[in-house]
Amino acid sequence: MSAEFTPRQKVTFLPDINKPGQERTSPRSRMQKKGKETETAQPARSQTPTVSKDEIALFRNSVRQNACVEMLRGGFHRSFSELFSLLQRWKEIRLAAGPGSAIWQHKSLEEQPAKLHTLRHYLTKAETALRAGAWSAVYDQQVFLAQYFREPEDRWLSCHFYQTSLNSARRVKIDGGRKEAEALANMGQVYMEQGQLDSAREQYECFYQLTAGRAWRSEGGRSLHCQACEGLWRVYTQLADRPLQANDYRAAIDTLSKAFQMAKEAGDHRIEGEAAYRVGLAYQCVGDQVTAKRFLNMYMEMSTALGDAGGLGKAYKAIAKSLESEGKLSETVQYLEKFAEVSQGNNQYHNLEEACMCLGVIFNSRGQYERGCTYFERGYEIARDLGEVPLLQRAQVFVGSARAYSMIRKYSRSIETASHSDLLLLTGWKESRQNVFTDTTGSAEGKI
Amino acid sequence: MSSTTRSKSHVSVLTSAINPLANPRGAKKLCELCQNLAYLQCTKCRVTFYCDTEHQQADWVGIHEKICQLLIPIRTAMPFHSLQADRDHHRTQILHRQEELIEISRAVAQKKLFEGKYQESLPAAQLSLRCAMDVYGPSAVQLVPAYLLLAEANVGLGSLSQAEGYLSQAEWTVMKTPECSQTVRHQLHRNLGRLYTATENLEGALLHFANDVYYASEEYGLDNIVTCGGYFLMANVFIKQEKMDIASSLYTEVASTWHSHLTKLLETHTPGSMTLEHFFDEAQQAEADQMLRAMLKVPESSPKQATAQNTLVAHSLAMLWFLGGSPDKALEFGRKALQFSQLVPDHSLTEPIQGLLQLVAERGPHLTIAS
Repeated sequence: MSAEFTPRQKVTFLPDINKPGQERTSPRSRMQKKGKETETAQPARSQTPTVSKDEIALFRNSVRQNACVEMLRGGFHRSFSELFSLLQRWKEIRLAAGPGSAIWQHKSLEEQPAKLHTLRHYLTKAETALRAGAWSAVYDQQVFLAQYFREPEDRWLSCHFYQTSLNSARRVKIDGGRKEAEALANMGQVYMEQGQLDSAREQYECFYQLTAGRAWRSEGGRSLHCQACEGLWRVYTQLADRPLQANDYRAAIDTLSKAFQMAKEAGDHRIEGEAAYRVGLAYQCVGDQVTAKRFLNMYMEMSTALGDAGGLGKAYKAIAKSLESEGKLSETVQYLEKFAEVSQGNNQYHNLEEACMCLGVIFNSRGQYERGCTYFERGYEIARDLGEVPLLQRAQVFVGSARAYSMIRKYSRSIETASHSDLLLLTGWKESRQNVFTDTTGSAEGKI
Repeated sequence: MSSTTRSKSHVSVLTSAINPLANPRGAKKLCELCQNLAYLQCTKCRVTFYCDTEHQQADWVGIHEKICQLLIPIRTAMPFHSLQADRDHHRTQILHRQEELIEISRAVAQKKLFEGKYQESLPAAQLSLRCAMDVYGPSAVQLVPAYLLLAEANVGLGSLSQAEGYLSQAEWTVMKTPECSQTVRHQLHRNLGRLYTATENLEGALLHFANDVYYASEEYGLDNIVTCGGYFLMANVFIKQEKMDIASSLYTEVASTWHSHLTKLLETHTPGSMTLEHFFDEAQQAEADQMLRAMLKVPESSPKQATAQNTLVAHSLAMLWFLGGSPDKALEFGRKALQFSQLVPDHSLTEPIQGLLQLVAERGPHLTIAS
């Protein structure tokens, strides 16, 4: 169409002074030169710009169709069926969830072309490797895809690819099961995230058995066996939550002891300490304080070694609780004071407040109202600084009651005797509400 | 000799000669098949005309024998009705008859195409196209199946330019109708793919087969036998391109799909009746048979894979012929399948094959099984 079209020649009137080295300068000579240039340019320009069939298809068809057709043209029919079934499955899940659910608002994969392209690219690579029989390459591609889909709405895709990577890892015979082990670890993690604890446990147990005795290391330098132990510890700890809620303490203790074993084998003191702590708490719930104290002491030692003040505080608190239920109140007091110190050093004000309250209650129960009162007042101040109303109110009640208890004996005696000095004391107290009773005598306390 | 005399008497019974000059002014009688001036008239219906005996014979065998009487009400002029209601009634009746005619002619053409009788299918296909044009208009989407049939017939006959013409017409119609169904689209692309394979344009063929598989999967699902028909055609193209590994993986897919489909059918069949219901029509059966036999012949890359696949294929063929009602072929393929299954390390198929052979024996007690 534009073959016979000769464009109007654009010729400058004045010569171009910026381009050096030009001899002809009259407009006519410039037109002649321009004419020669356009002649050579014309044959190229005479062809109309054509659009290829592929580009038309890109424009006309949906993204999904283009991706599928590309894959099929290359002969990658397995990638095509995988992609197709994934898209189909997403649609079914969405329909089943209904219009009100969270998934309804999510964009489907078809509306996210970048993700579709990545999927296509890596799936085709995986299939080429599959045809060549190189299962480890297949595994690599699938793991990459699984890690690519990190967003919460793509969690199901990630899970699917971890599953397929496990299947292909099982086919890899050369490296003695190392890829299979890694795949099992990934699957275990996926199940943990989804909350399917039993399946997670199975996967981690297989992982553990595979890595037993082998010195494999992951890229970060950690031994795979340690990872297995840690994974198992986590699973067992979570598995123990259910029987604890059902008050089935024996089962909980069994699971938690297994967790402790695993943590010890992993060789990481931090998790060993935590495991010991949980076991100790479980034994406390059962009532076996001796074993509980043993485990809690272990936790305490480890926390001190690691310098973990928070952990140390928790340990002290738990030990104090044990001792309290055993009835050894002086030791309880000791430990609670240690707890208070540690919390103060660590600026953990909640814990400090709790410690003060507990101490105050113990002193109260022993009749040492003065000391109880001081602790209660300290707790009250902390609660006030924290600004939490329930704690504050509780502290106020305790302070008030402690003060009352400390005064009550003298007060009632004063009322009974009703001598002149006593009456003066009483009216003075009524006026000012100061603690005048204990100040004067000082021997009212300690009389249990 | 006797055939010509017989055909002559045959002709004389069915046709009578007419003189074009004797026709009323402006009423040109045209041949059914070639649209030239007609010199013969069909005596049975008197509304169909032919230019010579060859065309009459071809049309009779092709379609006219079945629809002779049905053409009469359609092609005679409308009688006079004084009431509008009567006229409308007449018109709707004619429409119904025409739609029936379209269906019948399409079915006949399809059957002949699957049997491989391309020349004979042409009259039927042309009639279906003409009727569809009368009913729906010259560029409606209902014409597309008729175009596809004609294209397939022409590809089979080797007149590729004709086929290309019909297919481009079909493609244009589909493009103009955006709400066209996916079945029609997949059939269109399949035929385009077949054409391109015949013209050795392998890349274009692959593109069209890819589209065909996509639409078929959308419509029927990934594991359907229709989809795997597309896979089979793609595999043929890959073989021509010398990409044997892709072709063999596609063949595996086709074999396993057909195998599972037939196993399912067999399971539903065996617990109950002794009578054979028609699970699939002859067309599908012929197609499946052709496909599976072709797969048996292709040489495989690794021998282990070959025997495993051959077991599947032979077993499928045995089941196919058993369900299709010819037990001797089933027996033959069953024995072959048993042979192959013994070579393969994984003996999972031996039991089902033996079960099938038992069934065949029950069906025909005079047949003996040699193990």
